[in-house]
Amino acid sequence: MSRSSPHAVRIEACGCRTALGPAEATCAALCAGDRALQFRPVLGPDGGDRVPLAPLPGRSLAETAPPDWLPAVDALATEIPPGPWGTARHPVFVTSSNFGVGNLYAFQRTRQPAHLAHATPFAVVEFLRQRLGWGANVTVLSHACVSAHIGLLLASRVLAAGLADLALVFTFDFISPFVAGGFHALKILNAEMPSPYSARAAGSIGLGDGAAFAVLSRGPGGFRLSHQQVHNEMHHFTANQADGAGFRTCLAPLAEAAAGGRLWIKGHGTGTLEAGRLEAETLARLFPAAPLVSWKGSLGHTLGSCGLVELAIALAAIKSGRTPGSVGSTAPYFADTIAAESFANGGFDGVLLTSNAFGGAHAACLLRHD
Amino acid sequence: MPDPLFLQLKQLIVDTLKLEDTPAADIPDDEPLIGGGLNLDSIDALELVVRLEKEYGIKITNSEEARAALASVARLAAFIRDRAPKDKLPA
Repeated sequence: MSRSSPHAVRIEACGCRTALGPAEATCAALCAGDRALQFRPVLGPDGGDRVPLAPLPGRSLAETAPPDWLPAVDALATEIPPGPWGTARHPVFVTSSNFGVGNLYAFQRTRQPAHLAHATPFAVVEFLRQRLGWGANVTVLSHACVSAHIGLLLASRVLAAGLADLALVFTFDFISPFVAGGFHALKILNAEMPSPYSARAAGSIGLGDGAAFAVLSRGPGGFRLSHQQVHNEMHHFTANQADGAGFRTCLAPLAEAAAGGRLWIKGHGTGTLEAGRLEAETLARLFPAAPLVSWKGSLGHTLGSCGLVELAIALAAIKSGRTPGSVGSTAPYFADTIAAESFANGGFDGVLLTSNAFGGAHAACLLRHD
Repeated sequence: MPDPLFLQLKQLIVDTLKLEDTPAADIPDDEPLIGGGLNLDSIDALELVVRLEKEYGIKITNSEEARAALASVARLAAFIRDRAPKDKLPA
């Protein structure tokens, strides 16, 4: 592999919460082939079609005020190393795709003012800032399902510019009837379990809860994000360029950076057909020897948080020596690089992690370790 | 004599998507609705699907089925005839 980019950062700490628990528990459950997704009413207490959803244990999708995901965030926050977060040299970057839109919808329906404290991006981040004791140096970012990658990249640039000693990236996305109903209306959250990268007649995603954090520094050694890449096609509100050019533009520089190394790939792989095909084919072309996995067939798509949630699971996988396979995916696949089963990862020297989003937004990073 | 369901669907497309410069009668029977001469995209498709489900009491279960149904006015008419209750169809 090539030397690290000027924006390379060390991951000092990283953790997540999914429907299967913290990162280590999630990794172990995925390796065992556990599927967190279950068929549940798309509108939560209001019913509707049953679709694959993976909320945190104990969550009902009811829109409560305060939100019922707060205990999970509190538990995750205990894993963040103590520090003067939110001060001048310790900035916080908070990312989400949906923030508190479920509470906004609940306010529109109920007119209960208690929902407003969690109903908009800045309101819910301010609520979390105060709850978690952060200072005012908090940046709020959102770019659909690559939101977490954007947070990681901006934090890395701030560190590279010498503007911070440590940076905390925090991300969250929790399912609500509003969000699930939206994907259902788009006909991509259907009454079928997702099967990422499978060449089948009809696709479906699942949706899952996710929250994660990473503490980054410019220190040497350890686990490092050696290269990061983002690209936006600016092609269409929702669709990718049909020839896959956007995927190639984002990933080609990383293929060059990773040349000579032995990688495995944690892809985006939501279970939709067209994007899954473009992604799998592009990755197989650029990284023909790298096994490709997606964990969204079990955890569901955790939307804007997925990039960092899955980074935390990838770190747990490296530490455990075993990478979970693509739980829920079945042959035939769009590429012959898809790894359906878990595998030992001791012989690999890096991981490529990719995410994609509505509107042809692409993001990827190279995780390397000593 | 023109198929009354074809005419109804063309008018529904014009009304739903507010195609003010497109007379319903000018929409061809067999040309692609999405990505064709009407220049419709996936957001238009979403609006159409929601309206069609409401208007004809049908259920479109996934995006692949939606894409197939919206292949043309003729394909859409066949899809609706196959799925919709008879009382929702023009006489």
